[in-house]
Amino acid sequence: MSKMNRRDFLKYAGFITAAGAAPLLTPELLWGAGSRQRIVVLVELKGGNDGFNTLVPFKDELYYKYRPRIAIQQRQVLSLNDEMGLHPRMKALMPLWNSGQMAWVQGVGYPHPILSHFRSMDIWDSASNTNQYLEDGWLTQVLPRFKQGLHGVALNKGQAELGPLQSPQLNAVTMQDPRNFLSQIRRIHDVTPSRATPAIAHVSQIQHQLFSAGKQIATKMGKSPKRAGVGFSKGVLGHSLESVAEMIINGIDAPVYKVTQDGFDTHSGQRGAQDNGLYQLANGLASFQKSMQHAGRWDDILVMTYSEFGRRAKENRGGGTDHGTASSQLILGGKVKGGIYGKHPDFSKLDANGNVQHTTDFRAIYGTLAQRWWGQKNPWAGHSTLPFV
Amino acid sequence: MSKLSFTDARHLVTRTGLGAEWETIERFQQLTRQQAIAHLLQNRDNQLPRTPSMSPWSRTVSLMGNMRRKKMVKRISRVEGKKLQDWWVKHLVDTRSPFLERMTLFWHNHFPSSIQKTQQASMLHQQNLLFRKHAFGNFGEMLHRVAKDPAMLVYLDGYVSTKEEPNENFSRELLELFTLGLGNYSEADMREASRAFTGWGLDNRTGQFVNRAQDHDNDSKTFLGKRGNFKGEDIINILLKHPKTAETIATKMWHEFITLSPPKPAVIKQWAQVFRGSNYNISTLLSAVLNSPDFWAKHNRGALIKSPIDLTIGTLRTLPYSSAHTDLAHNLNIMGQAVFAHPSVKGWDGGTSWISTQSLLRRNSMMNNLTKGNLNEHKYKGRVAQQLPDIKPTHMRDWLLAIAPLQTPPKKPGKQRLARALVLDPAYQVN
Repeated sequence: MSKMNRRDFLKYAGFITAAGAAPLLTPELLWGAGSRQRIVVLVELKGGNDGFNTLVPFKDELYYKYRPRIAIQQRQVLSLNDEMGLHPRMKALMPLWNSGQMAWVQGVGYPHPILSHFRSMDIWDSASNTNQYLEDGWLTQVLPRFKQGLHGVALNKGQAELGPLQSPQLNAVTMQDPRNFLSQIRRIHDVTPSRATPAIAHVSQIQHQLFSAGKQIATKMGKSPKRAGVGFSKGVLGHSLESVAEMIINGIDAPVYKVTQDGFDTHSGQRGAQDNGLYQLANGLASFQKSMQHAGRWDDILVMTYSEFGRRAKENRGGGTDHGTASSQLILGGKVKGGIYGKHPDFSKLDANGNVQHTTDFRAIYGTLAQRWWGQKNPWAGHSTLPFV
Repeated sequence: MSKLSFTDARHLVTRTGLGAEWETIERFQQLTRQQAIAHLLQNRDNQLPRTPSMSPWSRTVSLMGNMRRKKMVKRISRVEGKKLQDWWVKHLVDTRSPFLERMTLFWHNHFPSSIQKTQQASMLHQQNLLFRKHAFGNFGEMLHRVAKDPAMLVYLDGYVSTKEEPNENFSRELLELFTLGLGNYSEADMREASRAFTGWGLDNRTGQFVNRAQDHDNDSKTFLGKRGNFKGEDIINILLKHPKTAETIATKMWHEFITLSPPKPAVIKQWAQVFRGSNYNISTLLSAVLNSPDFWAKHNRGALIKSPIDLTIGTLRTLPYSSAHTDLAHNLNIMGQAVFAHPSVKGWDGGTSWISTQSLLRRNSMMNNLTKGNLNEHKYKGRVAQQLPDIKPTHMRDWLLAIAPLQTPPKKPGKQRLARALVLDPAYQVN
């Protein structure tokens, strides 16, 4: 390329869009055909999931003392070892525990916990300290190092939120599902981002991103896309996970997908609400695993749940639990080393709010994903990684 | 003082109302700034459409007592919730006082109570009437009433909070979102406040507020450095004496009326002082906001992103398109602004969060659908073209857009074609 620099060449070859921002490089161009993207599926449990009624400490006497009405009785628990077991509505995932592809990290939280949904979720999304305000999602510190083009897709009915994918440095899209997305995308024109006001700058930048992502998704899934191949439950999470499976099977190259299950803010009537949430979660993930297994992609997948906080050790009068601190997080995948990691928080040492002390910093999990799963530098090296993968 | 120019009149109309109504813009050009603002703050028509029929609380209570019938409550709330949404959305399209609707939406978003949690449409209707009544009135009085509002008591679990086990949901959001904001109180303050609200409940028969003295915690509480045997009312009064409460509202006004960019701290301090100085008179605060240099600054034109209601209802109130075959409430829901069904107690975040790749697609589709039709005015004497004002293309652009368009205008002539192109331009998404 003597008279043409690389950028000119790409433009000439049609790889740069009108705005010239994110070039639409195909994965084949970057890694050569056949290289496989390692994928993380983030499952957000919105509202603050009660980790103690998810991964149940059925040998902890204080657990039953603190929760006379809402505790999961020992005979109902699906035991994983001598001390810990699963909520009975998560039965669909037991085969993955038995085959060593399910890991739990206990006591996950951060120092000086904030009990506001919104601020605490911001902390989880941005990997900040309690007193630190970061604009960008934590994936900004990992994904641009090894991936160009599409970085992530967040799916939800109504309004999906980018959360950890939120950043001007990331190409991420939100959608209900690819079908809805494709039915509307052809009406979108590319625009040159404007800076006339911050408001129009945002609108035009999103429209440009949308155009770029739309091109890839339309190419891969526009005509008779392959289906997930297994049945999914009818709920929002089931539908989102089915869409993720279809995008992966049809060769969309995003390294991250984010899905959401709502309804974990269980201040009252917890058993009904949380039991249902966990049932949706377990069944959705079990179907997703089968679909990925059939497609031969399960070894490329790592699923991780997260939530803004856990809940108080003691139940309240409304048969619910108020905002808490540390919680348990679930990790699944073909290459995951099954087991229970971290330490169950000490129920005898509650703080002034009646909350437990966290035992694992959430950034240790992010660092593990960056370093041990994607093979990148660990931006949170202050927290040692966990050997679950 | 001189009369309002076309662009200034347009700015005031679109920021305070719903859409760029041609006739109001014409009328405001006969007035000075102060006159127009005074007119907006004084003239309100609160004629509401007929109230849809909704089940009373007593019925919900009796159904909830029966496990087999619990599902019915959900079904009823879904049907009645939709009727209630349609009721308000219809009024948003038809109202003669769009400023009142904008402010009712503002308070609806400051004090959200979703149908998904409350499952009681009649209570949400009652709450909506409360917001309209106090929309321009006294914030202190509104705060006291909201705290005892049945929908709020259910939404944030206040009605199940007792001295044995106070529920923190309401007092936490009262401090974090409704008044002081995070960082201005401790977890201990929040817990003490929750004790003060214990005993506030609902009458099973009437669905109205009752104070159950036997459930109230009568012991002494320490709240924000003060000590006493506080009741819920005392907590609210202490919050109304705290300077941060007025600043929280002033900051929300900044993002509602000025720009999505961060506010100037000095301006917020000044507005908050005006607000507290007037004993929380909302009209006084609004007058300060609308008369401020920041409101009129040229660099703040096009500095807000239109909400789905602004975009959709605003278009229908501006241009002669028909929504006869469109379920407006449903479309607002999928664009992220479901009235009576906020995504969380924080309400709609607004600002940049209105536009994601997902919502932009839906907004674009919605505008496409509303404006479609045969654009060839010679062959087809379109109703739309005939009803558009007879103005030059540049004037049309200044009417429909707050800033210059990003896409080149269509080469073919025709008012209807131009209107559609302007509505579909990214610049139409901001105001």
